[in-house]
Amino acid sequence: MAQTMKNRWAGLLLLVGILVVLALLPVLVNNYWLRVATGALMWAGLACSWNMLGGYAGYINFGHSAFFGIGAYATAILMGADFAVPFLATIPIGMIVTALFAVVIGAPTLRLRGAYFAIATWAFAEVLMQFATVVDFTGGTGGIGLPPFLNERFFYFAMFAAAVLTYFLTWLLFERSRFGLKVKALRDHEPAAEAMGINTSLVKLQTFVLSAVVASVFGSIFAYWVTFINPKSVFGGDITDQMVVMVLLGGLGSLWGPAIGGVALFFVNRLIWMYYGDTAFYIAILGAAIILVVLFLPNGIAGLFARRSGKSGSVLDTVLGRLLGSRQGGRS
Amino acid sequence: MDLFLQTLLNGLLIGGVIATFSIAFQLTFGVLHVIDFAVGAWVVLGGYLAYYMAAFLGIDGFLVMPMAFVLFGAIGYLMGPMIYNVRNSRTARPELMALALTFGIFTLLRGGMLTVWGFNTHSVPTALSGHSIMIGPVTVPLIRVAAASFAVLIAGGLFFFLFRTRYGLAIRATAENRQNAALMGVNIRRLSANVYGLYAGITAMSGVLMGGIYSVNPEIGLRYTLFAFFVAVLAGLGSLGGALVAALLLGVIEAFVATYGGASYSHLAIFATLFLVLLVSPRGILRRGL
Amino acid sequence: MTAQAPAPGDQPILFVRDVHKHFGGIQAAAGVDLEVGRGEIAGLIGPNGSGKSTLFNLVAGMETPDRGQILFDGHEIGGKKAYTIARLGLARTFQIPALFENMTVSGNLLAAAAEGHWHGAQQRADETLALLHLEPVANNRASDLSGGQQKLLEFGRVIMRQASLILLDEVTAGVHPNIRKIILEAIARLREQGTSFFVIEHDMEMVRNVCDRIIVMDSGRVVTSGAFEDIVQNSEVMQTYLGRPQ
Repeated sequence: MAQTMKNRWAGLLLLVGILVVLALLPVLVNNYWLRVATGALMWAGLACSWNMLGGYAGYINFGHSAFFGIGAYATAILMGADFAVPFLATIPIGMIVTALFAVVIGAPTLRLRGAYFAIATWAFAEVLMQFATVVDFTGGTGGIGLPPFLNERFFYFAMFAAAVLTYFLTWLLFERSRFGLKVKALRDHEPAAEAMGINTSLVKLQTFVLSAVVASVFGSIFAYWVTFINPKSVFGGDITDQMVVMVLLGGLGSLWGPAIGGVALFFVNRLIWMYYGDTAFYIAILGAAIILVVLFLPNGIAGLFARRSGKSGSVLDTVLGRLLGSRQGGRS
Repeated sequence: MDLFLQTLLNGLLIGGVIATFSIAFQLTFGVLHVIDFAVGAWVVLGGYLAYYMAAFLGIDGFLVMPMAFVLFGAIGYLMGPMIYNVRNSRTARPELMALALTFGIFTLLRGGMLTVWGFNTHSVPTALSGHSIMIGPVTVPLIRVAAASFAVLIAGGLFFFLFRTRYGLAIRATAENRQNAALMGVNIRRLSANVYGLYAGITAMSGVLMGGIYSVNPEIGLRYTLFAFFVAVLAGLGSLGGALVAALLLGVIEAFVATYGGASYSHLAIFATLFLVLLVSPRGILRRGL
Repeated sequence: MTAQAPAPGDQPILFVRDVHKHFGGIQAAAGVDLEVGRGEIAGLIGPNGSGKSTLFNLVAGMETPDRGQILFDGHEIGGKKAYTIARLGLARTFQIPALFENMTVSGNLLAAAAEGHWHGAQQRADETLALLHLEPVANNRASDLSGGQQKLLEFGRVIMRQASLILLDEVTAGVHPNIRKIILEAIARLREQGTSFFVIEHDMEMVRNVCDRIIVMDSGRVVTSGAFEDIVQNSEVMQTYLGRPQ
């Protein structure tokens, strides 16, 4: 018990330390690294939003970029000459539009199980991307420009605030409230959850909408930050791919896993870009990372630190089991 | 009217090639209970093998098919147990982990191909291309007829193997009910290796055909994964007979949208159909047993 | 309230009339009539395939009856959603433990109370852990439990529901006598608090010791019901049931 308390204080101290460093970062590093840090915060937040549904509810969303893209396009279109809405007002509008989409798409697709849901969401995001390519109000393939606002510190703090809120919300809802219990219960056994009085359809939809809305906020900030978007840059499958890999790498269904995976992978991305100037190699790294995580680290990096309980065995056991193909890793 | 018939015939011929790897894909799902995201990558790799071997050996691209089968069959055979282990592990949510694994394999292969071969597009060289034949009132490219014929041969061979041999019976029994098959003494683990090898080999062979009709580049793999998913959803996961019908239907839909709507709409049409089918009938609209 | 329903007050907690359900050509419920009284422990026996599990699924809302009437505590529940019925105060166990595998043991208990019984849930979870001797494994992942412990946890979740009627589906099948004893004690405790039980059970010793009344099903119908001794003396029924392999 004393050990638990000690760990808790140590964890809290670490968290405060990280937050202080992040808050002071603009005076500590130059503009280039501030941009990198802004991107890292965005990916940590996006990975967290994907993890709400993927990790806590067990529904693999292969089309999460759709909601990032809706947020981005909402801000881009509303800030354009036709509407001239101020940036901060576009965020809630983007959230509302995203929520409407999420309800309409989520209600029927969340009835689907496992791989069918993954395929349906993938199809939805692709349809949306193709749609944005062929219609006029999105600027088609050419994309759409936003009024430039070249203040790196503003965007850094915007992403920082969004990321901190995202993680606080996730902690509150999924780790510290009965809503989280309901979500995890339906992930593990839907009929049993229903038998416990849980309206699983409703809870799934709430989680889906929440994860979508959070992604749209990051989309809004991203669009204003990069000042130019096109269908591929905000709806592209690569965006979802990265979120999936980040969460798997960090630890599916854990609070801090997506942050660890998101930051780690984004830095790898930047390093490869700096030294190779090419993204093809990064895609291969993504693939290799997923394979290695699935085979040797199914609980992600966060799982390495988690207390292992009962008979589940150490990570090393799992690794050896997989390598030797013995029954250690298999269901007997 | 001739354009209509020509489009229909073209669609059916392409559908035949799609059917070949879709049936293998369905079989893999039946035995391993894994949706293989990497299916498109095997198609593309088959095409690349044929392109380079044809240049290296100076032979017709389609003659590389047996080699594609043996090479990718062996690779698949080696990978099968790994996928089986993940699907049957006692870690949290093995189904999801297996999906992630094949997604990782697909991403690694795609990234690797892009790194090595770049974004360039190649065609598998074959003497059959550039000719056309008349079938009734319509003209179709000879290569499509040839590819469809090969596809029929491969699919026919697969069906013969499944329905006329002892080992094929074991595979079908496993696909229908794994517990019962295990009780009857089928070693599902070894069977999984064989089935994944068979599937990878067949898929690579159809990649040779696709590479001759169209062309190959690393990014095109996603399109074939989409095709396999489309067929699986329409037919119901694991259904073999349904897969044949769904694949032909897909070929025809694609051909008609490309001819009458424009090629840029064909993806939109396929994805939209896929999405609607999933909403209306999650278990497949052509569902029938093996 | 329909004319068939008994007057409130002395009405049974569960009232099933003429319930039909078929799967393809198989008639799993062919006009089931039965009642479970308030505070009663009713045992449901019958050969495999006689429709016991289907009846449970119909009552708990996992299946929709083709026709017929199911009243729980005066509410018509036939065809209602499972979570709606659960919120009315009906709880069930699953024949194959249906635990929330990736949650801890105490997480499983709290999740069971998350909808409708949240007040004081933490304290009740601790009491339930103690009652079922699950304290040492409270923070283990549910999937790491032994088979017997899984049955206990399955039962513990039902306790957390504070239900007025509990359906138990072979809750003591194949468990160690020590664990069976724990479960029997827990049933007795709940009964003192006025909980009613409806129990599928194959173990005749258990049926004899626990149940107030036996209901015998065969081929989707209730064949007879009554006290254990009366049923035993009716040799025809016992042949139907005991004469077949289980």
